[in-house]
Amino acid sequence: MSRLQPTQTDLVPGEAVALSETLNAAMPKTARFRMPSGHPMEWFAFVFLAVLIVSSVFVEFIPGLVRASFPYGDFSQGPEWSLNGLFGTDALGRSILSRVLYGARTTLAIVSVATLISLVIGMILGMLAGFYRGPVERIVDLYANSMASLPPILVILALISVTGNSVFTMMLALGLLDIGTYARIAKGGVIAQNDRDYVLAARAMGASDMRLLLREILPNLVPALTAIVPPLMAGLIITEGSLSFLGYGIPAPAPSWGGMIASSTDLLSRFPLLIFGPIVAIVLTVYSLNTVGDCLARRMNHRGREL
Amino acid sequence: MRIAKLSYLKAVGVRLLAGIPVFLLVTFSATALSSLMPGSAAQLILGENATQAQIDALNSRYGYDLPVWERYLGWLGRLLQGDLGQTMFSQQSVAKLLVDRAAVTFEIALLAMFVSLLIGVPLAMYTASRPGGIVDTVLRAVSSVMLSIPTFVIVVLLGFVFAIVLRWLPATGWVSFSDDPIGNLYYVALPVMCLSVHQAAYFYRVSRSEFVAVLQEDYVLVARAKGLPTRYILMRHVLRPASPQVLTVMGLSMTYLLGGSFIVESYFAVPGIGWTVLNAVSSHDLPVMQAILSLTVVIFVVIFILVDLGYALIDPRVDVS
Repeated sequence: MSRLQPTQTDLVPGEAVALSETLNAAMPKTARFRMPSGHPMEWFAFVFLAVLIVSSVFVEFIPGLVRASFPYGDFSQGPEWSLNGLFGTDALGRSILSRVLYGARTTLAIVSVATLISLVIGMILGMLAGFYRGPVERIVDLYANSMASLPPILVILALISVTGNSVFTMMLALGLLDIGTYARIAKGGVIAQNDRDYVLAARAMGASDMRLLLREILPNLVPALTAIVPPLMAGLIITEGSLSFLGYGIPAPAPSWGGMIASSTDLLSRFPLLIFGPIVAIVLTVYSLNTVGDCLARRMNHRGREL
Repeated sequence: MRIAKLSYLKAVGVRLLAGIPVFLLVTFSATALSSLMPGSAAQLILGENATQAQIDALNSRYGYDLPVWERYLGWLGRLLQGDLGQTMFSQQSVAKLLVDRAAVTFEIALLAMFVSLLIGVPLAMYTASRPGGIVDTVLRAVSSVMLSIPTFVIVVLLGFVFAIVLRWLPATGWVSFSDDPIGNLYYVALPVMCLSVHQAAYFYRVSRSEFVAVLQEDYVLVARAKGLPTRYILMRHVLRPASPQVLTVMGLSMTYLLGGSFIVESYFAVPGIGWTVLNAVSSHDLPVMQAILSLTVVIFVVIFILVDLGYALIDPRVDVS
């Protein structure tokens, strides 16, 4: 971030935390290929995300679960021990569990597409910036700095006040947020790899720029880029939730976690238990993504050190 | 000494210059976006029943019918003369409005940062000197859960507990510090608490990992071997080398605090920047949006300059230029 830092690290703080914790964690030197190394919370995070993704993608096929808009029972019933009533019913008598899962599908779809957009564009721009430097680098830096200097909610609000808030425009708008972050990571990676001997060797053999970037350098950027995907996705989920909470998210009948939390706040003093479904969903999702991100960062870093 | 001061000035100047393109890009994008907005501002001011002639007249009076470039250059020119224009509906001076609202947001943000540092850093010192202990394990879990709770969930939960169940604090409203300092503290408490939950956890994690790293240095081993008490080592040998990283995080956390102010201010009806800009966006109040965007960018450039200068103050080896 700054040329003045005594130790030259090109890390975002979240990563720095993860990395320095890595150094502290007494991990065995031989990290063979295996899944999260023992931490029960990491197992929990992987399993929770897997269950959430599967159950929100195939939500129509869950036996016995009513549709999100279906008035299933009495208004504002507290949680009970049945599938549809697990989190209670909302002010219109709709199953909160069903709405949480349908909301998960919308949120995950928006955030995944947005991540894909920013990852692909950011990676291409970052690689070009790191490889060719000069004006390309200056433009990429300008974009990254501009985005970093604005609160994400403000950017999205400005964009959707022009485009309207459909699922599609939400994907595009959220996709613009993290391009700069991915570009910066990719750029740093290319600059670090560019002086390595293997790149020099490939260049000496007459490899084209395209080949150098895609076949030689790109594979070495994958670890760093993969590790920041989950925490950035968690950030997008929070931004999307905040917008829905403020009433600027996906329009009303479609269920969204932020919108459900906002609408249960009116009834909070009488039915406090009804707010917990969407809160549990968003907190556990964000927690799991952060934990998976930490886990990936540690493993990627570990493999890097073995080389 | 003189040379050192000059190099500081030069460093500040270079960074200010580097911020100019960002400033121009952001404010120009705001003008461009506003011209793309469906429904003109004049339509909104005059309401549904306005005739086309009335709308055109108002548009040309405020220059909304000019091309984007001319409007932007006009805005920039007036900005250089210190004129930020007037709000579209109440015709107040935007500059004065901005100063009032920014004071509120900054009070909350700075208090939140202070509270979070006060909670996060001492706890980090404690657990870093006893890694693997029960407190360390518990706080690691607590901090990662706290980092995963979005601000809009925190405002709902804390608001419920402190304003509805316990009735200790007001749920909404604001009294400015100059009117009533004690009443101000009463109203500021809940917003500050909400922003501090996330920040305290963040500061805790960053400073703990820094402290643990510094505690493994040889000079700490020497200090231990000399028989110095742990508390003395932490204060005199560990705090300063670990500060640059914490300072970076403080700078970056202003993003979070300003972003969080949208949620906190709109939920507790606090008249700060976040609340103002939300209203400005929904009413297409371009002068206010422009001014707040400019202010945000300026704040960030200034914060990063301060962080850079802070490094140089903490660590004399750092070369400012």
